[in-house]
Amino acid sequence: MNTLDELKQLLHDRFDVDAATLDPDTPLTQYGLDSLSLAELMFTVEDYFHVDFPSTNQDIDTLRGLGKLIDGLRLAKAA
Amino acid sequence: MSRRRVAITGLGVVAPQGNHPDIVFNALCSGQSAIERRADNAVVAPCRFDPSPWFTRMQLAGTDRVSQFAVAAAESARADAGWSSDWFNTDHRAPERAGVYVGTGFGGAAAVEEAYRRFHRGERVPPLSVIGAMANAPAAQIAMRAGITGPVLTYSVACASSSVAIAAGAKDIALGDIDVALVGGSEALLVAGMIAAWQAMQTLAAPRADDASASCRPFSASRTGLVLGEGAAFMVLEELDAARERGARVYAEIAGTGLSCDASHLTKPDADGQVKAMRAALASAGMSPADVGYCNAHGTATLVGDVVEAESIKRVWGDALPRLRVSSTKSMHGHLLGAAGALEALVTTLALYRQTMPPNAHCDDVDPACDLPLLHGSADRDATLNAAISNSFAFGGTNSVLAFRRVD
Repeated sequence: MNTLDELKQLLHDRFDVDAATLDPDTPLTQYGLDSLSLAELMFTVEDYFHVDFPSTNQDIDTLRGLGKLIDGLRLAKAA
Repeated sequence: MSRRRVAITGLGVVAPQGNHPDIVFNALCSGQSAIERRADNAVVAPCRFDPSPWFTRMQLAGTDRVSQFAVAAAESARADAGWSSDWFNTDHRAPERAGVYVGTGFGGAAAVEEAYRRFHRGERVPPLSVIGAMANAPAAQIAMRAGITGPVLTYSVACASSSVAIAAGAKDIALGDIDVALVGGSEALLVAGMIAAWQAMQTLAAPRADDASASCRPFSASRTGLVLGEGAAFMVLEELDAARERGARVYAEIAGTGLSCDASHLTKPDADGQVKAMRAALASAGMSPADVGYCNAHGTATLVGDVVEAESIKRVWGDALPRLRVSSTKSMHGHLLGAAGALEALVTTLALYRQTMPPNAHCDDVDPACDLPLLHGSADRDATLNAAISNSFAFGGTNSVLAFRRVD
């Protein structure tokens, strides 16, 4: 599974969002996530992928942006 | 200024006996205890509760069990009162003239426990720990659901929390500050750390070897302490005339409230303080002791507490004592702490509405120092009840008494 698919699965498991309806470029807020559930999601994602998001502003409004960030952090970690 | 009368028009509950007022009341009247012994040997009265009818998974983020109970019970009370979604879409009902008054002793205990557990293991603390744990989260969640924009308040007065909250909401309606209120309480602290803290205080009941469900025995000579419970209970309160005008079912009226503080000891109750609160409740309701047929006692089954309450009741009722019936339903649902006053107010309300008094269970051997006119065995269904009171006495010394009157 690539990162994007794993993220979709995570969203489904955590928040009951239908993975099939998730578009990588649609803002997550469109799926009903508010600032609180987004915070909860980020925590879950960090735990799941064993990464720490930097506190600087990143493009994590969409699944694609989130996936890129995770891949970058994992690469940096592996290097 | 004349005080307006306050009607109870909706009831909702999440309790160890079940999640509907009738289920809970019927179980109590048949003497069914929900107290059980857990695998770790703690004796508690837990709720069987599924949040999914009330919350999406997304809404559960940062929503502690205490808020889940509160929303479920308050939304049930609203539905029971016929409080539809277009309630505020009329000329005569304004959301700012509605309020939420919630009692809770602790707030989000599970959120606190999880945060500390992770913290002390060197793990990161969940980002929504604060909003899950904060004591006013249940009130805020209820207000958001109902669209209530008036006073949304939380009272933390230990075991009197929700009795105080109900009194506060009733007073604001009586004074004309608001017209409708959701009042009650919620508590959910059956988590390992909190139970251990209570055990350390040496106030919890020893598990009864042959029958754990009979471990809580208020006023009994063999009582050994209280049993922790969890849950929530809520009521819809309205100004009586408005309630009648809309054809609402009126369960009973909150006729009076009484408050006092012992100001003598953090945990040891004081008869003088309790007597003052009961007399104040009767006075504000315009009742004499002889008018009151039922007292839902605080009766936690601690060695000291029951004796002091028995003395207080005897002092207030005096010669009228033989006409009173007393029971502590904590013998069956345990001590819901900050939600105890609300659950017991609900039980007292249904006692008046259904003219049936639930028993004081597990008390075959009354302590001579607690020689109250207790209701033993099964419920008294032949009662003619016109008024009843519910006692809530807190650690910290605050005493809150609610007086209810039957409404025809």
